Amino acid sequence: MESSLTNACKIKIEKFEGPLDLLFHLIEKNKMNIYDIPISEITDQYMDYLFSMKQMDLEIASEFLVMASALLHIKSKMLLPKPKKEENSQEEEDPRQQLVVSLLEYKKYKQFSMQLSDRMELWSKVFYKEPEMIEFAKIEKLINLCPFELRRTYLHIMGRNAKKANPGASNITEILKTEKVTLKSKINEIISLLARKAVIIFSSVFSLAKRSRTEVVTGFLAVLELAKLKKIRIEQDYITGDIKITKCEESGS
Amino acid sequence: MDSLSLPEIEGIIEALLFAHGEPLPLQKICDILEIDKKTVKSLINNMNIKYEKNDRGIMIRDINEKYQLCTKFQYYPYVKKLFDYKQAPSLSQAAFETLAIIAYNQPVTKAKIEKIRGVNCESAISKLLERNLIREAGRLDAPGKPVLYETTEQFLKSFGFSSIKDLPVLDMDI
Repeated sequence: MESSLTNACKIKIEKFEGPLDLLFHLIEKNKMNIYDIPISEITDQYMDYLFSMKQMDLEIASEFLVMASALLHIKSKMLLPKPKKEENSQEEEDPRQQLVVSLLEYKKYKQFSMQLSDRMELWSKVFYKEPEMIEFAKIEKLINLCPFELRRTYLHIMGRNAKKANPGASNITEILKTEKVTLKSKINEIISLLARKAVIIFSSVFSLAKRSRTEVVTGFLAVLELAKLKKIRIEQDYITGDIKITKCEESGS
Repeated sequence: MDSLSLPEIEGIIEALLFAHGEPLPLQKICDILEIDKKTVKSLINNMNIKYEKNDRGIMIRDINEKYQLCTKFQYYPYVKKLFDYKQAPSLSQAAFETLAIIAYNQPVTKAKIEKIRGVNCESAISKLLERNLIREAGRLDAPGKPVLYETTEQFLKSFGFSSIKDLPVLDMDI
């Protein structure tokens, strides 16, 4: 009896999803009662399956081995003589209980997973319509007005904004350009000035009277930069006094 | 709006669903029609019965109280001829089993799923995530803060459920 079962097992090496899946297969194939699993029989078959997998050089997932050891453990427990007890009910003592609970729970989801598979097949056969951009054309209404209305509106606006308007606006011929002052241009300017003069006074070159604020600030930054590069020497006798700029001959270039 | 007859309202709902394309929330339909949810729901139900009776090509799907028009299964062989349509590859048994466990136990950790299945579920989970059938739903307040998984609306849509409550009751009998 057992040999024919093991043969059947050897012939058909299916892919099982896990040890529980395999156990289920064995239980169903042998029409075993899940609540009273013949543990010795099922363990043998289970082990046979693992051996045949090994023979076929299939990789055995570690979970299968864990289950194998659990089965053997249960089997050995069942072999041991039961300690004498006043009651005969095995329900709480049955070493197979945990396994049965796991198997039943697994089966529940496995069955549902097959339903899911069917449902997916069915519901992949319906089509939905992708939403499309629905654009509403803007309707421009023509307004029926006489030219005088335009004039009247224009005058009205002019009158309303009379206070805000700049009467000299029409005299402006050029739009003020934003100055473009770069540090580099100021550095060059100072160097070329120093080429002609031995000493220059900062305030006389970059005075707010002659230059814009941006130019003065950038000029000052240029002086600091040149001093840092040791191209020039700067002297100031007292705070807020004139800044004298001289060339720094020795250390420079 | 009180003057509208029921067939007219049904017509309006159909027009809304057609124009919207995407799943249309029940609330939005109620707002537009100024009718309570219960009435709209029963009207939609009624519309579906009519669609069924009159051999119409479409039906209305309810996905988490969002409604969407779709074609009927039985016309699939014809509709598919319109497109160069390839059905998405089905899922592996491992993925279906994992999905089944997530569906009934959500939100659930990988450890719990693996305990039930008795095998590693890493690749099944990543496949399901990839197919947008499940998503991460925060982390369990337990050591290691394991990620929790739950099913998505795509799951409901792909498997023909209108909500999680719609899942069949599992019986433990063998």
